[in-house]
Amino acid sequence: MTATRRSVSVLRGVVITLVLLVTVFPLYWIAITSLKGPREVVLQIPTLFPQVLTLRNYQTVLEARVGGNFLNSLLVTAGSTVLSIYLGFTAAYAIVRHRFRWNFNGIFLVWILVVKILPPIVLAVPLYELFLGMGLVNSRLGLIFVYQVYTLPYALWILVGFLRSVPIEIEEAARIDGASPGQIVALIVAPLSAGGIAATSVFTAIMAWDEFLFALLFTRRPRMFTVPLRIVNYITEYETEWGSLMAIGLLASVPLLLLTAFVYERLTTDFAASLK
Amino acid sequence: MVIMHSGRERAFFLLLIAPAVVVVMVLTVFPVFSVASNSLFDFDYIAGTRELVGFDNYRSILSDRQFLQSIGNTAIFVALAVLLETGVGFAIALLLYKPFRGSRIVSLTAMAPMMLSTMVVSATWRTMFHFDIGVLNSLLERFGLSPVRWLIDPDIALFSIVLVDVWQWTPFAFIILSAALRTLPPEYLEAARIDGSGTLGLLRHIIVPLMASHLLTVAMLRTIDTFRLFSKVYALTGGGPGNATETISYFIYREAFSYFNLGRAGAASMVAFILIAVVALIYIPRLLRENAV
Repeated sequence: MTATRRSVSVLRGVVITLVLLVTVFPLYWIAITSLKGPREVVLQIPTLFPQVLTLRNYQTVLEARVGGNFLNSLLVTAGSTVLSIYLGFTAAYAIVRHRFRWNFNGIFLVWILVVKILPPIVLAVPLYELFLGMGLVNSRLGLIFVYQVYTLPYALWILVGFLRSVPIEIEEAARIDGASPGQIVALIVAPLSAGGIAATSVFTAIMAWDEFLFALLFTRRPRMFTVPLRIVNYITEYETEWGSLMAIGLLASVPLLLLTAFVYERLTTDFAASLK
Repeated sequence: MVIMHSGRERAFFLLLIAPAVVVVMVLTVFPVFSVASNSLFDFDYIAGTRELVGFDNYRSILSDRQFLQSIGNTAIFVALAVLLETGVGFAIALLLYKPFRGSRIVSLTAMAPMMLSTMVVSATWRTMFHFDIGVLNSLLERFGLSPVRWLIDPDIALFSIVLVDVWQWTPFAFIILSAALRTLPPEYLEAARIDGSGTLGLLRHIIVPLMASHLLTVAMLRTIDTFRLFSKVYALTGGGPGNATETISYFIYREAFSYFNLGRAGAASMVAFILIAVVALIYIPRLLRENAV
């Protein structure tokens, strides 16, 4: 019995070490490649420990006006998050607190789930033509709108689940005290839901920051590129500019890591439920 | 709980939901109908005309080896990635169940890959996969193994992309399944730990059945995400070598945005819709039960 027990714990140790190694190595690789000089990056036998550490890649990246791409990504992420939360919250509240005619609540929610499942490329052609006609191609506003394909169903679904857990008694009391429905939503329900809204915003923002397909289709001018597009551009245009590539990659990951650190405590609990 | 509402309040709720409904209609309902209709036409993009051809586009793509291969590639990718991510994620969750010194750090590290953006992950692996100067082949050679043609061998490239997806998303399965494990009565897992001999039996007869619905949820979420595989293919192989890594999404993308065959792209989209509907039929009723409408 003890032998089995010991072997189980040895196995545990081995597996944990292995998992850590496999997980960490690519992360380590991003970091050191971004700090290597241009010649060291393309050595026939890659160096596991950089010979010389340099910040040149970061300098190159910043001089290449990647800042504009970061600004695009930031604005688009912020815009689509705010829009999704506004639309998602108001709609979720209406669905939770009101029964519309013809079983609209059920139909709407089922459709929201269908959209979550549908591969986004399916919607791309009609949306492209529509947005082209409205002058929303090559524009941040266009991306903010088109990202709602992902972010709105997601935000709406989570907020519906969240609002169901908000007790109705407080609203009823406010109603009896003469508060208007608008006041109830803005002054009572919204503050009560602040936690849920914050968590949903973070996940929505991660989604928007990471988006690639619609960014690829809807932005043709490099000036309007988001960060993921810029990264792809680096891969395809300069086959081995890996130092700069990894530098951009690391910079692009900072906002996500910050957001994640912000919600870490929620990750293992609410997250599991919210992702369903 | 639903309150009975007066006419004025009904108008208020209509006003509240209207913007979201409009956005959803424009961004999703309209395109789905438009694509369904496109699939029945043959487009002449240069002349700007179209002609009703019935189901010709469906016949055309379903007899197109490239399209069938893209379905096959997608199926292989989804099956392998979902099995590995769910399986490995579950195994790690079980192994890390009992807290130990540094378990928090280990969990946090194990989560890191899914926190990187997909493009960063793809770019990193692309450099590591490089045949001549990539670090993976250099490590293999150091251990006396022969280098692998990760992204340039048509028989291997798809599996290399699976590897990247597994690296990035196993943490997701791990997080959800860890959280789910902690909701089980601890006696089960304690027993599993102490009585080493019965571990497998316990796992099979007690833990897996108890975890079945969580395992299914993870598998479905990963199925939905891997089925739409596009950006990794775009960044790692561009669908190549040949068409070895072309997925359904990639096929639709090229038909529509490189060849302007909007009819064939529409037909392929509808086929994709029907294929994923199988998942939807299991998934949606489950979700609706949990979040009762």
